[in-house]
Amino acid sequence: MEGALRLGRLAKVRARRGPYVMSVAERLLIGRLKDRDEDAFGEIVRLYGDKVFNLVYRMLGSRAEADDIAQEVFITVFKTIDTFRGEAKFSTWLLRIAANQSKNRLKYLARRATDPEGLEGGGALDVAAAPHGLPLSGQVDGPDVLAEAAELDGLLQRGIAALDEEQRLLVILRDVEEMSYEEIGEVTGLPEGTIKSRLHRARMALKEWLDRHTR
Amino acid sequence: MDHEQAAELFSDFIDGTLAPRDKAALEQHLSACIQCRTSLESLRRAVGSLGKLKHGAPPRFLPDIQQQIYQRSRGRFFSRRWKLFGRIPFEWVSLATIIAMLIYYIAMLHGTPGGVKPAP
Repeated sequence: MEGALRLGRLAKVRARRGPYVMSVAERLLIGRLKDRDEDAFGEIVRLYGDKVFNLVYRMLGSRAEADDIAQEVFITVFKTIDTFRGEAKFSTWLLRIAANQSKNRLKYLARRATDPEGLEGGGALDVAAAPHGLPLSGQVDGPDVLAEAAELDGLLQRGIAALDEEQRLLVILRDVEEMSYEEIGEVTGLPEGTIKSRLHRARMALKEWLDRHTR
Repeated sequence: MDHEQAAELFSDFIDGTLAPRDKAALEQHLSACIQCRTSLESLRRAVGSLGKLKHGAPPRFLPDIQQQIYQRSRGRFFSRRWKLFGRIPFEWVSLATIIAMLIYYIAMLHGTPGGVKPAP
């Protein structure tokens, strides 16, 4: 039911936007991937691996969980690339899979957390233990700068984790991944007005959380 | 404009997507309201910090995925490549085997058995 609603909303978003035209390079790469070209798959992972991993990591807050789910996203891409029809950018199709799998994992973890027989500690937020992980930038900062950045990273991650899953996704797509409202619409299936109002509430909730925890 | 109405416009103001009339009204309110100015600055800082949250995939990310696909496809994809010749597709190996068997069959059919002299 939810899937059908999302598809209907996506069709509306696409109807408003008009047809998407793939670049030649993108078309060639996807064509090779549909032929199960292993080098093309490697290229896709190299191109989008960091983006997908970051999205999943920020949604789940655990590196171990993010590693599993981000891998699963690319395995799904390899298996289901034939269903990609080029109506949207490949990257938004990929991030939609990543967002859906992250949400499913969050639901599973929430169920397991309430299950008294569930495993202990699984999916726990691990940013506080090693907040900085593998930074994307190659620059080397001094220990004070790194410690400050790590503290801020951990604080922001805990703030994001305090949001509900939909607010979390919108904040990550817009403010962490810096995507346009149109791209966010492709990923979430929501119209621009809804994205803006929900994002505003999410940002305000995050600001209030940070205000409370930094005084 | 009261505090609540002003706060409703903060997000669009930060994104630069506020309509000119609303922007002017908000700026007028901000010039007189320190509470909203502080709140807006706090929101701007939070949103700005989020852009720095970048975390790359682990170094073994690609090999781990390839290994997973290799196992799940029972060796159909991402099997080890030969160092000199690259991976030989399964279809080519099958074709070469069929051709070799055909040649052997034809040779057996038309060849004369060696080492046996005809009877005088």
